[in-house]
Parts: sequence; C-alpha cells; structure tokens
Amino acid sequence: MIQKKICMLGGFAVGKTSLVRRFVTNVFSDQYRTTIGVTVERKSLVVDDHDVTLMLWDLYGEDEFQRLRESYLRGSSGYIIVMDGTRQSTLDGALALQQTAARTLGPVPFIAIINKADVRAEWEIDDRSINQLRERGWTVLFGSAKLGQGVDELFTLLATQMLKASPPSGVPS
Amino acid sequence: MKEKKRNPSQSDVSLFQDIVLHLDIVVLEREAATGTFRLHGIPPAWWHQFADTADATTVDLSRCSPFLQEYVAAWLHMGSSELSIVEKSGPWTESDGQGGTMTLEAGTLSIGSRQLLFIERMGSGFEQMHTIVQRARERVLAEEVAVKSHRQVETHLLTQLEASEQTKDDLLALLQHLHLAALVLNEQGIITFASHRGLELLGIEASHVIGLTWESVLHVREDDRAMIHEMIRKSLDGERTRVVHIEQPRPIWIELEIHRDPDSPSRRILVLHDRTELHALRQALNEQTSFHDLVGKSSVMLRTYQLVRDVARVDTTVLIEGETGTGKELIARAIHCSSERQRKPFIAANCAGLTDSILTSQLFGHKRGAFTGAVSDQQGLFEAADGGTLFLDEIGDIPQHVQTALLRVLQEKEITRLGEAKPRKVNVRVVAATHHNLSEDVVRGTFRADLLYRIRIARISLPPLRERREDIPLLAQSFLGQISTATGKSIDRLSSSTLHLLMSYVWPGNVRELKSAIEFAVISCKGKDIIPDDLPPEITDASAPSRSPVWVPLAGGDEKSRLLAALSDAKGNRTEAARRLGVSRATFYRRLVELNIQSR
Ligand SMILES: Nc1nc2c(ncn2[C@@H]2O[C@H](COP(=O)(O)OP(=O)(O)O)[C@@H](O)[C@H]2O)c(=O)[nH]1
Ligand SMILES: [Mg+2]
Repeated sequence: MIQKKICMLGGFAVGKTSLVRRFVTNVFSDQYRTTIGVTVERKSLVVDDHDVTLMLWDLYGEDEFQRLRESYLRGSSGYIIVMDGTRQSTLDGALALQQTAARTLGPVPFIAIINKADVRAEWEIDDRSINQLRERGWTVLFGSAKLGQGVDELFTLLATQMLKASPPSGVPS
Repeated sequence: MKEKKRNPSQSDVSLFQDIVLHLDIVVLEREAATGTFRLHGIPPAWWHQFADTADATTVDLSRCSPFLQEYVAAWLHMGSSELSIVEKSGPWTESDGQGGTMTLEAGTLSIGSRQLLFIERMGSGFEQMHTIVQRARERVLAEEVAVKSHRQVETHLLTQLEASEQTKDDLLALLQHLHLAALVLNEQGIITFASHRGLELLGIEASHVIGLTWESVLHVREDDRAMIHEMIRKSLDGERTRVVHIEQPRPIWIELEIHRDPDSPSRRILVLHDRTELHALRQALNEQTSFHDLVGKSSVMLRTYQLVRDVARVDTTVLIEGETGTGKELIARAIHCSSERQRKPFIAANCAGLTDSILTSQLFGHKRGAFTGAVSDQQGLFEAADGGTLFLDEIGDIPQHVQTALLRVLQEKEITRLGEAKPRKVNVRVVAATHHNLSEDVVRGTFRADLLYRIRIARISLPPLRERREDIPLLAQSFLGQISTATGKSIDRLSSSTLHLLMSYVWPGNVRELKSAIEFAVISCKGKDIIPDDLPPEITDASAPSRSPVWVPLAGGDEKSRLLAALSDAKGNRTEAARRLGVSRATFYRRLVELNIQSR
C-alpha cells in the first residue's frame, strides 16, 4: 500500500477545503467556514494499477492572521496550489507559497488549479497571467469545487506525477 | 548531606489528576523500550475513541491523525536532549466520534530520559479566536468584492467615457472633414463647437462664438429667430429647413438645418448651408424666368425672348420653326402681345388637314350661297384679325391653291371673300409656324418658294425641350402650379427623383408632353410630393436601367430608321446623333453595332 502526502496550498477562501471535500466525500457547501488547524483527509484510488492512499493535508490559507508552518509541508510527495479565479490577489499569494514549498520540499510534483470556474464571467485572473504561470513551467488547471469540475482530474494527475517521480520500489513497472 | 528523595504523596497524585482533568488534557509518556505511549491519570471523555479498550493505559497513536504522528516523529527525531521544549504542534482536527470534529493541539516535554506528550482539546478560547479570524477574513473578502465591483463600475464608466469622447471627437471631426458649416449647441443653446467652415461662413472667429448663445451670434430677423427657437426645441432632425438672412457681420443667406446630436439628445447640431449666391441668382432669374406665357431661363430661351422683342417692334411676317409641342403658338402670342397690335385681336388657325375650300373659306370668308352649305355671308379669319395678328399654324400643310391665295393677300394686303368679286382691305400681321423643313418642301415642290420668302422675312426657331433641359424644373414647377390650382390639389413639390427622371427623359413631344405628364402625375399623386410612380409609364420605363432610355423596340426597322435619321440629321456625327436621341453615346454605339449599322 502506497501512501502519499499532498498539501493543499493557497490563500484563504480559494476553495482548498471545498476541493478536498468534493474529492473525498463529493459534497459542497456554499457556506464559508475558515480553516484553522490542519485537517488530514484520506482517499484511496488506483493509479496505474497501484493502490494509492492520498493523505490530503488541508492547510489553512495564509494571510496576516496565520502564517504557514513550513514544518507542515515536510514529507509531502506533491502539493496543489489553489487560486480563486475571481481574486487576482490569490495569484500573487500562490507564487509566494510555491517558492516556500519548493524551498522546503525540493522539486516534487505540484499542480496549480484556478478554482471557481463556474463563475468564469467574474474572473479577474486573465489569460495573460495564466500564460505567464505556464511559461514558468506550472501545470495550471481550471476547476470548480462547486460543480465538481476538474476535481478528480486534479488529484489523479498529481498522483500519477508523484508515482512517476518516485516509483514504488519492488513493483515491476 | 544527601537530600532525601521526594516521593509524590497520595495527595499530590490526586492533585495532578485533578489538574489534568480540569485542563481537558491527555498526558502520555513514551516507554523507551517498547516505543509505545502510556496514559497518565484519568483521561477526558473525548479521548476514549483513541484508547485501546483492552489495555486502557497503552495508546496506539496510529488511530490518531497522521498530523499527530508526524509531530511525534519529528519530536523523536530530534533525539532526547537534557531538557528540550519542542514547539507545540499547532491545532489540528479530529473526528469527535459523534459525527462532528474537534480541534486538538499537542505539546511535548522531555525531563531527563522521560518523554511526555500532552494532547489538549482546544476550548472556548480557540472558538473565540476562530470567530475573530473568520470575521476578519470575511471582512477582507467583502472588501475585495466591493473594491472589485467599484473597479468594474469604474472601468465601465471609463470605457463609456472613452467611447463617448471618441464618438464626440468623431462627430466633430466629421463635421470638420465634410467642410460642413456647423454649430453644436448645448442644452442651454450655447455654442460649444463651430466648424472651420461655419466660422468662415459667418465671418467670425471662434473666440467670438464659443460660449455664446446662438442668438448673439446669428443676427436674424425677429420672425426667423422665433422659428429657429421652435426648430431647436422640436428638433425634427433636419426634416425642416429654413432660409434666413443674416445681416452681420456681412449679409448672407443661409439655409438652416437642425439635427439632434445622436450622442446626447439635448444637444443640437446646426448645419448652415450658404444660399447667398443661390438667393442672388434666384432674384436675378425671377426677372426673366418667363416671357409672357413662355417659361424658361436657358440661354437659348433668353435669346428667343430677345428675338421676339425685336420681331415685335417691326411689323413683318414671321416664320416660327420648331418640333411639335415646343410652344410655337406661345411665341406667336408673345410677338402679338409685345407688338403695337397688342390691343387688337390675335387669331390662331391650324391649317393642318383642311381641304382647299374649307381652308379658303375659313381664311377669307364667303358670300351666302358661294357653295353648298354657305347659308349666310361669313367673315374670314383675316377679317376677324383685322388690326391684329393672324397665327397660321402648320403652314407647311396648306394646299397649293391656298398658298397662292395667301401669297396674294400678303402682297396686296386685301382679301376677297369666296363668291365675291370685290376685294376688302385688311391690316393683318401674319405669323406662321411649321414643324416641317419648308426649304425641303420647296425643293420637293410642295411649297411655293415665293410664299416661303414672303413669310420668312423674320424667323424664329424654337429648340426642342431636350436641348434645353435646364428649363425642365422651371417648366415642370410652373405646370405643377397651374395644374394643382386648377384641380384643387395641393401638390407643390416634385421629389428629387421625379425631377431627375424628368430631366433625363428625351421628351419627343416636347413641352406639350411635359405638361401632360405633369397633368397625369397630379391626377395619380396621392401625397404632397410627386414621386416617380406618379409619372406616365413611358417616362419611368425609359429610365429603367436595363433598357435604353429612348427606344423601346430592340429589333425592327423602326428603331433602325430612327437611328439612321438621327445620324443623317447630325451629319454623321455620332455624338450629336446620340444627343439628339437623348441617349448616351455608349448606348448609341452599342445599338449601331447591334443593328448592324455602318456609320462613316
Ligand atoms: N462559486 C464557487 N464557490 C466556491 C468554489 N469552491 C469554493 N467556493 C466557496 O468559496 C468559499 C471558500 O471555500 P473554502 O473551501 O472554505 O476555501 P479555503 O479557505 O481555501 O479552504 C466558500 O464559501 C465556498 O463555498 C467553487 O468552485 N465555486
Ligand atoms: Mg479551508
């Protein structure tokens, strides 16, 4: 049994908790309850014929009220950077968080997702900034925790990349 | 002295347990040998879900969140130092075993070789902190939304502003570019813009215009001012125009058109057309747009009027030549009316189609019984016209015999009634008219040469209408006036497309045809203006783009002979022949080829 730790990173209220809940229990709530304290959710899935249990560390969103403890990142095989398409500021936060994560974890796989694609008309993050992220080598997905769009793809893609980055030993490829 | 080792008394142990219980805290000690954790004291109720029921004091941390396991692993990894206080874990959530969650926080303590782990359930203090952070974050979000919508409104307004600035600029630029004399007024009637051409026309500088009311710039008559006010108020968008006279700084006539500014409906655009020259011309022309009943201001007509005046002064016979419908009788009347004989009778006789005897008796009169049906003595037209003018139309048609009699009358100035012997003196001026070429008739032997020379002492030829098209508007307007008055219809305008049609038609029947076309149109007309549909079909059809304007048949000898006739009239000059037929040169050439006509 392979276990992998994944950290959810991103500013507050971008939808980290919502993405995890949508992925793990397939529910969504419009109510906002800010996360203080780490919640770890487990979800097992089959990736390339391997049973993988993802341990999803839903961290709190960083802001002036809470700093991210770098120690929480340790041991992650990959991370997800979540942005809120309707708030340009969450993109700046994402850049800083990614640097922190890369410093702490080294070059582990990560995927960026711009959430709230169901309200695309209200997006502030434009194609130009998205292209700039892609030029940095980021994988940028669009998704909606509310509609469940792009959620499974997000976690499955990261799990696949993580397995590729550190293949399970003793398992014939 | 060796200090006595202090053993915890029973009361200490219970105090410790009370404290732990009170703090809602779990105290675990790691057993170095087994690596398992052992519970100290009585744990709070919430802990039971993690406790092993078989051995209540041994704890399996793998039931707890991986978060705690990581925290513990990190702690152990550091190795036990003498006395180290590890940073607290920070809060994490666990299921409370009843479908809800609880928030816990862990801390560690190493005392000598003993390793202690505390797990605390976050209580009301944490909840308060959570509420504060939640509120703060919600406020930040709400502010972001407000800022965002503010910014959206701002961008929206900015783009709108930009767009309207742009269209405003476009509009003004357009006015400049079109060399339109234009003024833009704001809702108070104050001039906010004046195009270059406008300033030029008014003869003032921008500094004397901008910011002033239109009234202080356009010095117009009292009634015009009231009218312009009305036009500005209603702004029928250029539907109505008015020609006004401006006295200062230099006298001009302008036609005023008032439009609504499409960008801001309360603004007005005044377009000024210089009508000074037109006004002057019209005044000049008013003096000579007609002569007696003749209408026309073309140079050929003006020359004709002069000729009529000249001819009227003398008392000779006159020959008027011209196509049918060109107004030969009107010329004769004009001559009469401008002559000394104007108070005496003007008698018109059409000589066409009359037999010898009828014509003779008509012209010269007869004695009772002179022929069957002559029941009484009858005066002829010559006698009736005594002292005045006798107009003989279609003189080319009179029989030889009458020609001889006529010649004698002209020479002797006396007539003899049919059946009488004694001639009577008559004082009559004869004005004759023909659409024939009488010289050709002389050559052909159908007209007496001596008579021709006798009547052609003075000669006036009237041009066909197609050679004085510039008179068509004036003629049409004058007929329209006459006819609408006569029919009681109040039609006073020809639409510009109607006029265009009238101007381009070839008018084989000349002015007479024009007049009957207008009569036709007035009868058909349903509105206030005559539109092309009101005109007789031959005129509207002639202009249909698919067809050549004049001739309808595409094949057949008729058209061919008309072409040939036109060519020969024009002495082989194709441009002239085309003009005579009223068609374009290109059409004419094409038809020549199509009908296989070789010219020159
Ligand atoms: N419209 C929309 N709202 C979302 C979506 N995902 C999350 N939200 C809302 O965004 C707010 C913050 O979500 P949450 O998951 O708590 O964000 P976190 O702070 O990043 O964990 C909540 O009110 C959610 O209901 C989404 O995909 N679309
Ligand atoms: Mg959250």
